[in-house]
Amino acid sequence: MRRIASLVWERGRTPITFLGFLVVWQLAVVGLRVEEFVLPTPLSAIAHLILPQSDADYHWIKHIAATLSEVGLSFMVTVVVGIGIAVLVAWSSTANKLFIPVFVFVNSLPIVATAPIILLWFGYGIFTNIFIAFIISFFPMVINTATGLNAVEEDLLDLVRYHGASKWQIFVKIRLPNSLNYIFSGLKICSTLCVVGAIIGEFIASETGLGYLIVNSQFTVDTPAIFACLIVISIMGLSLFGLVSLVQKLVMPWEQRVFTG
Amino acid sequence: MRQLKTYMTRVRTFIANHYLKVLQVVGFFILWQIIAMLIDKVFIIPSPLAVFSALFDPELAAQYKWIEHIVTTLTEIALGFALSAGVGVLIAVTISWSKLLRDIFMPLLVFFNSIPKIAMAPLFLIWFGYGIIPNALIAILIGFFPVVINSATGLNEVDEDLLDLVNYLHATKLQVFTKIRLPNALPYIFSGLKISTTFCVVGAIIGEFIAAERGLGYLLMDSQALIDTPPMFAGLIVISILALGLFGLISVFEGILMPWQKSSTAAI
Repeated sequence: MRRIASLVWERGRTPITFLGFLVVWQLAVVGLRVEEFVLPTPLSAIAHLILPQSDADYHWIKHIAATLSEVGLSFMVTVVVGIGIAVLVAWSSTANKLFIPVFVFVNSLPIVATAPIILLWFGYGIFTNIFIAFIISFFPMVINTATGLNAVEEDLLDLVRYHGASKWQIFVKIRLPNSLNYIFSGLKICSTLCVVGAIIGEFIASETGLGYLIVNSQFTVDTPAIFACLIVISIMGLSLFGLVSLVQKLVMPWEQRVFTG
Repeated sequence: MRQLKTYMTRVRTFIANHYLKVLQVVGFFILWQIIAMLIDKVFIIPSPLAVFSALFDPELAAQYKWIEHIVTTLTEIALGFALSAGVGVLIAVTISWSKLLRDIFMPLLVFFNSIPKIAMAPLFLIWFGYGIIPNALIAILIGFFPVVINSATGLNEVDEDLLDLVNYLHATKLQVFTKIRLPNALPYIFSGLKISTTFCVVGAIIGEFIAAERGLGYLLMDSQALIDTPPMFAGLIVISILALGLFGLISVFEGILMPWQKSSTAAI
């Protein structure tokens, strides 16, 4: 019995503690009679999400669809453009030396501050939000991929060059498989950043989406609706992260990685 | 004559070491100027010159109230970062003190770190109203987690053999902590602090985007509404300098506290 309990604890620590956190939250809010607009209970937030409310119609489907399409599209664009540029840069060592330091430098800046400029250029709407999500997740993707493509053992390269391997062969057989791990860690970072970017875009430049709904609910002091949005956004972020982990397991079965997150 | 020669060699090695960076910076501004001249619409992209005059021309600078906005944002960032660092390290120390606390709180912290917390920003406006406090709290909201997770990791990743040895020698828990765990955690703490610097800047700016009457984020949104691009680009430069300055400050501290470790200021 004790062994089973300890096994359950080992495997399910995150869900168990999170559930405990929710229970404490629920009891604290009910017990201390906290006003709903200050802090709603988790149950009330879920109720706002799944039950029709008498005083407000949230159009959940519309907002979730808008945010989900922004996150999905920006993630795909980031992956394609990010990996594409990393491959181009890693192809030539001059380009590598010239661009990678620039990317690393820009990555250390608060890129999200460009959001109002992007809004100015493209106006309100889904494209602006996709672009904001893209611009904040692009740099980690490029840097991770390029690092992986370059982190190859020099001895191995010497060996295959001695055997007359072409640049293309080296790329496909050595650099790419070597970089998979790095690419996937980039994808995981992007999975969160794309959600963050889409939400920030919706905060400042949108009339649909969960980020818009959050800001709108802030005006109407509808705190339970904000928490309902937070639940959906968290599920979105975690699902995308889980999806990437799943694909990683399929693509790299030899790597038995611990699922963290 | 000889001095001049050593001076010249020094200049030469400096150029040899840094010419690429100088080239990149100069190239960036030239490229920007050319693009601005080609597009030739100030409401799309201002020239570098227009941006610098928005910053330094006394009349324009007074109109944009740079000092007021910079002081506001800087206060938010400083408050947010100081509290993220202080509370983050303190909580990390507390939870790494006992295995039970660690087992309960680490999964929660890692979980909350992986969700998009910035979506909670508008809540802080409901709770605390407009102003410096909510924006500093938003900075803490996203700047706190890297510090606590990195510090806790560093405090726990200690060589088991070393612990066995000092336990055998009857070291107290406090001794183990100050002589082994803390020095071992320093690199982790500093890498957490460095991540946190950028996060705090981002948090403060996003808070100002959503709701503020002062600060660089407010200036950016306000100028966006007025389609006045020079202060937007100037604001971007100022924000970047603030972020790099804070990052550099932490690197300096790192160098002082851990002289044995070559500071990894690769980003700059």
